[in-house]
Amino acid sequence: MSTKRRLQLNLPAPGSKRILQWGAALILLVAALFVPALVQTYWLHVIIIAYFYAILSSSWSLLAGYAGQFSFAHVAFMAIGAYTTGMLGKHLGWHPLVGIPLGVVAAGVIGVGIGALVLRFKPAYLALFTIAFSEILRLVIRGETQLTRGDHGLHLEPLLGADIISRVPYYYIMLAMLVGTLLFMHWLVRSRIGLFLRAIREDEQAAAARGVDVVRYKVLAFAITSMIAGLAGAFYGHYVTIISPNMMVLTQMGLVMAMAIIGGVENLVAAAFGGILIQVGLELLREFGSWRLVIFGALLMLILRFARNGLLTPLFRLMFGMGPRAELREGTAAVAEETAPVAEGVTADGA
Amino acid sequence: MDFFLSVSLTGLIMGIIYALMALGLTLIYSILGIVNFAHGEFYMIGGYASYLILSSLTGLHPLLVVPMAGLVGALFGLLFEILFLRPIHKDRIDRPDEYAILVTFGLSFFLINLTLAVVGPYPHRPPSFFRGTVDLGLVNVSADRLTASALSLTLVGALLLIINKTWIGKALRAVSQDKQAAAVVGIDSLSMNSIAFAAGAGLAAVAGALLAPSFSITPDVGAQPSIRSYVIIVLGGMGSIKGSIFGGIIIGLVESLAAGYFPDPSRGLRYKTAFGLVIFMLVLLFRPRGLFGRKEE
Repeated sequence: MSTKRRLQLNLPAPGSKRILQWGAALILLVAALFVPALVQTYWLHVIIIAYFYAILSSSWSLLAGYAGQFSFAHVAFMAIGAYTTGMLGKHLGWHPLVGIPLGVVAAGVIGVGIGALVLRFKPAYLALFTIAFSEILRLVIRGETQLTRGDHGLHLEPLLGADIISRVPYYYIMLAMLVGTLLFMHWLVRSRIGLFLRAIREDEQAAAARGVDVVRYKVLAFAITSMIAGLAGAFYGHYVTIISPNMMVLTQMGLVMAMAIIGGVENLVAAAFGGILIQVGLELLREFGSWRLVIFGALLMLILRFARNGLLTPLFRLMFGMGPRAELREGTAAVAEETAPVAEGVTADGA
Repeated sequence: MDFFLSVSLTGLIMGIIYALMALGLTLIYSILGIVNFAHGEFYMIGGYASYLILSSLTGLHPLLVVPMAGLVGALFGLLFEILFLRPIHKDRIDRPDEYAILVTFGLSFFLINLTLAVVGPYPHRPPSFFRGTVDLGLVNVSADRLTASALSLTLVGALLLIINKTWIGKALRAVSQDKQAAAVVGIDSLSMNSIAFAAGAGLAAVAGALLAPSFSITPDVGAQPSIRSYVIIVLGGMGSIKGSIFGGIIIGLVESLAAGYFPDPSRGLRYKTAFGLVIFMLVLLFRPRGLFGRKEE
């Protein structure tokens, strides 16, 4: 029976594979729309935070898994978004709806700067540089207490005003942001830009020789993912209404990386689901206290060592034939390749 | 002038301890070709090892525990190297550069949370080596810090002797210069990798054990010393032993002087690490091979 189903999934023309993927995405989205009706306020909060992490882990996977830039400053850009709108609100009284876009702009501008500086670095140097940037920023935010209130934490206005206590509207906004950024990033990696980024990652010099503007696309990838992180951070700030420099410690970066890698760093959707599942998993396993993160740390190392594609990417590939490798093999050759082992399986079953 | 000298002396004392820790990172980088992003966590292991040993075995002099702490760190390092880094050198990993960064950072995440789960988030402080302060004429230094500095200096010297005079040191240098040529003359580079990583982790653990009585330890205590070590090895030149010794002393001096002369003293203290980091970013941008680095970097 199962053989038969696999046969049906794999045989049809490439177009239907895509229909299957989008169909599954649509079903999930509809299910997500009903979440507020099904869960209590506390769990709704957990899921909002899970979506926040999903935006961070998927945008980091675009930067690391597609563009090959293993930046450790991703949560720092998230904090730039949050602190920009937070300080504009506190000192100038600007409305969150003005502050959030400016937070995104600030993350983008600084992202272009840092992206241009690290352009020529080897991976280890890029990692060191982004760690240094992130730590300097954290020290400055801790130090400049008059501007940022340092470790006391900066209070932000709730996005929808103090009158609305319900979390349901926040849930839909965060969901919309997650879906929106995922669609945008999906479009990006499917476009020429995504192809260029992957070419650069495989071989920078060869890509340059083929006429890819390496500088432009690497900086672009850094800036775009920084802006997405800034957007997530700015909205998060106006949702939880208090932010502190602790939001950007390196262990937070470690958590985002663990989410992306455990999900699958070379697949946006897998990385996003990694974020959601780990955040929800952390809540479900609350009784285990600190041991939860020990487990995820061990899992992270084991996955790096033995399953470079993460846990979800192979699963998706099995279910929908998704992921970069399948995309490359689309077409008749792929169909022939896919069906051969199945056909063998059928005869073996019959015999 | 007196202020300048006393601040410099304090910086020098700390700088030697920083150099010891950075030396471990350099050893690992020059042999294995990777940056250990969990270096600070070996510092943390050293601190906790000395605390835990001393609180279970009372009556032991704290100084005797320092080598034990180093050994604990080295064993952890050895285990990690064999399980997770050796596959790189057996060509079992694709994209080895990225893997090395991520897996050592993963180790750091794992160790911080493991320590949190085992001993909790509260600061601990092992007993002093020697109580009180020592009058050095210009400045009073706590006896603990002076002991730590003197021991670091001895260890740095011993390490230089080992690297320059013994067979193992020669083998290590050979591997760092040319892996294949070393293999031709019969040096097993895999075991050199293990030795270098274990030794590097052990040095960080010793630094942790030496400084734990002065600055208490928490599970996330490793972040500052490890970032400082990155600054030092980049400043000195990645893989250069001379570079990490000078780099350590320079960073010790810079931190001390900048904090001492910063217009607003309390803010100066808060930005202590940031001064080193600014130097770090400048070096990376304008002279990536550092002071003594090999040219190809």
